[in-house]
Amino acid sequence: MTYVGDIWRSRELLYNLTNREVRGKYRRTALGQLWSLANPVAAIVIYTFIFSFIFRLPAQVGDPSGIDNYAMWLVCGLLPWLFFNRVVSSGTDALVSNAGLIQKVYFPRIMLPLSLANATFFTWLLEMAVLVVALSFLGSYVLPWIPLVAVFMVVFALFSVGLAMIFSIINVYFRDLAYLLTIVLQFWFYLTPILYPVELVKTQSDALGGLAGSPITLLDLYTLNPVEGFIEIFRNLLYDNRAPDMTTVLIAVGWTLVALGGGLWMYARREKELAELL
Amino acid sequence: MSDWAVRVSDVSKKFRLYHERNQTLKSAILRGRTSRHEDFWALEGISFDVQEGHTHGLIGSNGSGKSTLLKCLAKIYWPTQGTVEYRGRMASLLEVGSGFHLELSGRENIYLNGSILGMSKKEIDGKFDAIVDFSGVERFLDQPVKNYSSGMYVRLGFSIAIHVNPDILVVDEVLSVGDEEFQRKCFQKFREFRQQGRTIIVVSHSMSVMEDLCDQVSWISSGHLLGTGTAQEMVAKYQASIE
Repeated sequence: MTYVGDIWRSRELLYNLTNREVRGKYRRTALGQLWSLANPVAAIVIYTFIFSFIFRLPAQVGDPSGIDNYAMWLVCGLLPWLFFNRVVSSGTDALVSNAGLIQKVYFPRIMLPLSLANATFFTWLLEMAVLVVALSFLGSYVLPWIPLVAVFMVVFALFSVGLAMIFSIINVYFRDLAYLLTIVLQFWFYLTPILYPVELVKTQSDALGGLAGSPITLLDLYTLNPVEGFIEIFRNLLYDNRAPDMTTVLIAVGWTLVALGGGLWMYARREKELAELL
Repeated sequence: MSDWAVRVSDVSKKFRLYHERNQTLKSAILRGRTSRHEDFWALEGISFDVQEGHTHGLIGSNGSGKSTLLKCLAKIYWPTQGTVEYRGRMASLLEVGSGFHLELSGRENIYLNGSILGMSKKEIDGKFDAIVDFSGVERFLDQPVKNYSSGMYVRLGFSIAIHVNPDILVVDEVLSVGDEEFQRKCFQKFREFRQQGRTIIVVSHSMSVMEDLCDQVSWISSGHLLGTGTAQEMVAKYQASIE
């Protein structure tokens, strides 16, 4: 708990480090912060072309919102994923890439992954704002759900940063992790129902039945993925305009507590020896 | 006898010298996660008090462990055994401009660097003009620091650090920055520090600087404390030992 107190006392540092990331990133570019929207837009165009036009995925109709638009359906899941991806991959490098700073000044090291996550959160917020406007135009009654969306954005951010904290420490001991992670994140992306609906997995799972004679189905394994629940929650709120399933919420919050608790514990335990290991 | 500001009690620091360091998963798995290493004691049983308001120097040849000790004092390394206690706020100045972001302007970097060194925004606001004045870079304040000359860069970094106004300042060999005029300003600032009753711990290879600045000097050799005494006495002993 004293560790959480340290973090609170360093909140101005967190603010300044976040500022460093946000402002330093798009310096000397003509479009500035708009660049952060370029990646998601490109991904949306490509995926919509492939999966909606070429592969002809079944139409995703929002219940009860009634929207039928693959691109929007995709974005509601893709934006949280892109945020998660950026936080985890840049957060993993947070300690190693700031080795020079860690070896020269004392400050709570946890500020490094936290500030990266904060800066990324800021970008995500912009993207989500654009999404809400677009959804409203297309007839989604999303505005009343915004407070809940905001709450789950914070929860998901805490989950992501918790994971990033754990990985950043492990990466100091095993530098392979950063490279391994890029591959893991690729698998993770396709194993999460972002491009395709989870119903398609269910169909296959039902066809297979219990795996190797056990009552465990493919779907059970598939839904072990913590990000799956979060994606479902965001889609429920933004695209369908309904409250998410309580079990899904509880599991998501549980994962968040585990990731965050693990991250804080790692830092409290390992922080002191970081300077000599880098 | 006045009170101590920093108390170093029986500090030892062990490093591991790795023969085989399994920093990759492959080697960790192949060799069963064990690493072969030897223990190396960079510091052994160092104890001394620094009196409040004193300037305390650390001398010793290269590799004697004085930088390790300084890093322990700056809370960057943590002693394997023993403790370092402080009375008052400690700030360290081991490198100027740590954490500068090259693309950001001098102004933005003052806030960033100041808060890394532990100042609050209010404090920085209050000292902003003094920092800029001291550094002498006001004309370039809104330029990104990557366009600064190395002298300007160092001066700005030093100026921020010296304005942290800690009760205890831990300084590495950074006194030799900038041109002669700036160095004079730095020494002037150090003397002000002393007059205000602040405590300074400093490492330098320049014996004349040590004699000039320090009240007390500790001499460290291969991780052991050979003695603590007045600057003249310890510098004389140290110099006698090298000849």
